[in-house]
Amino acid sequence: MKNTIRVERAIHQMTQQELAEKIGVSRQTINAIESNKYIPSTVLALKIARLFQKKVEEIFILEEND
Amino acid sequence: MRNRLLLPNRFKLIGLLALIPFLALGIAVRFFDFGFSFLTHKSAWILNSVNGTSNITDFQNYTDEIALSGIIISLLLIAFSREKQEDEFISQLRLESLQWAVLINYVLLLIATWVVYQFAYIDVMMYNMLTVLLLFIIRFHILLWKNKYSTDHQKS
Repeated sequence: MKNTIRVERAIHQMTQQELAEKIGVSRQTINAIESNKYIPSTVLALKIARLFQKKVEEIFILEEND
Repeated sequence: MRNRLLLPNRFKLIGLLALIPFLALGIAVRFFDFGFSFLTHKSAWILNSVNGTSNITDFQNYTDEIALSGIIISLLLIAFSREKQEDEFISQLRLESLQWAVLINYVLLLIATWVVYQFAYIDVMMYNMLTVLLLFIIRFHILLWKNKYSTDHQKS
């Protein structure tokens, strides 16, 4: 699974720290999600989507091997 | 999704501070035959495992019991304290570290079973009481540090 969080952050001019604080996780978690090392829970994915006012599918995209 | 089996973050420091004296006491007992004399009790109920009878006048010193209990409790406090920001990713690192620690612990135990014999094996069993916790604490903190490092040193 890939995601567009880094792009969304750039659009909203938000640092990893700011995003982390807004959804209540650590900065390491945001970094791990962005670098595809960690797949967030449904709750966290929904929180991120709501923050960027997008649908979850627009931010998290399934890949061939998923 | 809070992990209810974890203690508040401050217990990690308490555990670390408590570990130092108990570890020192443990080393003193183990390698220098140290024992507090006031912890010696004449015990009537020590079962002699060799011939199955109870030894009526035996002296039991509780320094080693206190040292081992202290070390185990200190390590438990360190291992089961929440991180400052314990979120779902940190919880996953915690579980992965625990899985890794149990696996490595038993690999080491299996190896020791075939290369260490007789009385030396008792030492192996003794250290093995602590290795799961030790391996877990070390592995978990290496993973935390690696993730913090890669977050702090990324390009962009």
